[in-house]
Amino acid sequence: MMAREEQRLRRSPFLVPDPELRDYLQGIACRVSGPHCPDVRVYAVRNAYFNASMAPNGMMQVWSGLLLRVDNEAQLAAVMSHEAGHYLKRHSLERLRDAKNRSALGVLLAPFGAAGLVGQLVLAATMMQYSRDQEREADAISVQLMGAAGYDTSQATLVWSNLLAEINARPNADAVKDSVLFATHPPSEERRDTLTRLGKPGGETGAERYRQTLAALQLQLLEDELKRGQYEETFALLDRKIGTEPERADYRYARGEARRLRNQPKDLDEALTDLTAATQAGQPPPQAWRSLGLLQRTRGDKAAAATSFARYLELAPNAPDASLIKSYVSELQT
Amino acid sequence: MKRILLIVLALFIAGCATVSKVETGEQAVSNRLVVKLDGPWNRFENFAGFPVPTWTVEGVTVDRLQFFVGIKDGTPLVRQTGEAAARRPLTFKSSMEPHEIAALFQAMLTADGSSFTLDRLEPVTFLGGPGLRFNYTLLRRIDDVRLSGMVYARVVNGELFAIQYQAPRLGFYPRYEAQIEKMAQTATLRT
Repeated sequence: MMAREEQRLRRSPFLVPDPELRDYLQGIACRVSGPHCPDVRVYAVRNAYFNASMAPNGMMQVWSGLLLRVDNEAQLAAVMSHEAGHYLKRHSLERLRDAKNRSALGVLLAPFGAAGLVGQLVLAATMMQYSRDQEREADAISVQLMGAAGYDTSQATLVWSNLLAEINARPNADAVKDSVLFATHPPSEERRDTLTRLGKPGGETGAERYRQTLAALQLQLLEDELKRGQYEETFALLDRKIGTEPERADYRYARGEARRLRNQPKDLDEALTDLTAATQAGQPPPQAWRSLGLLQRTRGDKAAAATSFARYLELAPNAPDASLIKSYVSELQT
Repeated sequence: MKRILLIVLALFIAGCATVSKVETGEQAVSNRLVVKLDGPWNRFENFAGFPVPTWTVEGVTVDRLQFFVGIKDGTPLVRQTGEAAARRPLTFKSSMEPHEIAALFQAMLTADGSSFTLDRLEPVTFLGGPGLRFNYTLLRRIDDVRLSGMVYARVVNGELFAIQYQAPRLGFYPRYEAQIEKMAQTATLRT
């Protein structure tokens, strides 16, 4: 059954078609799993939510929402080590048996793409949660695996504290357990505290290597995040990212665009600040000019909007909405 | 697994929708939008609980033509319940610009985790006035099928009118694309 699912996953259009990324993720998996490396096969899946999972046959999935959220290789290794911990302790096998006993196989397969409705994902996440003891065990193993691989184990706790910050940013923040963002691994204060206690500073974070490997994919990850339409979570994520890398044009663009799209009081002012900064930074994405032009048009600044749209069309002449933007320019000039 | 889901979907649809034949020729949708048909279609008046007229030739899990007729300011494009409505309401506003209407459809189409790519967005004449048309590619999450789609839309007196068609990119979409284009371009509103 798992072999069939893995075969289907290999052909899935949701697989991120990036051989360099695949090799990179496989390398991290091998580094943390040591002698079990030949058993593990990693697949990057395009899904804006945070998740990683590992099937009993060694098939590990890393969702693109996770790649956007971690800050460095050590944090990614923490999540992958956690999954490897479940695998080594055969937790997923136990879970599969439980699921079969409950005739809930369909639910179990949800993260593999067989069922995608968000509501089903919530249900699946609930059904698929490991027991608290299994999570504690996997956390402890993950720190050991990270440490043995030479990673900075203090990074593990940051993954969960950052996720908690995103959850708490939601209007209905009391939703830790049912947040679809966190799929099968809902964070908790207890897990964050446990990992804080177990982790020790020192070792490698791999921040620069991670940044370089993800660079080509970054804008797509941000666009996928914007398409989720969960702006409060996006602000929590991007406030943190921009706090550490304020010069990043792509982050400023994404936060500005999220503000523009949410369009609540003061959002447009803050969007203007971010989008202006994005377009003045080195190598802004063309979309930043489009977003700025739309914002300026909304605010009645016709000349500035026409200039921004012109820059967008210059940078992206074949953009799918070029025809519409040209019509906006014509309208601004009349 | 896919087969089971399709059976469940078919049973769900059968349980909550009435299917009838739409004859060739001129047809009025919701008594307001008039289209001319080159061939017959199958009509679901209440597809999957949505009060959106839905037509198909090959079956709703394959190709789907939907009509959004007279959606009023402040109302959702489709009926939403529970957390989905709270997390991302699909509310139409009569002040929406063309790019915002396209974004609204995108949000509707990706509510199940499917992946949307805008292929083309342009101003067009629709229902006798300035409207928009966009084409898209959708990777459907439930079965990994790659769909192509098109939407024609226009806001008339504060109400949204739109025709949306989508079908698998291979085979089905090209088979009906020209027919749908012609239908949209000759559609009119009853006064």
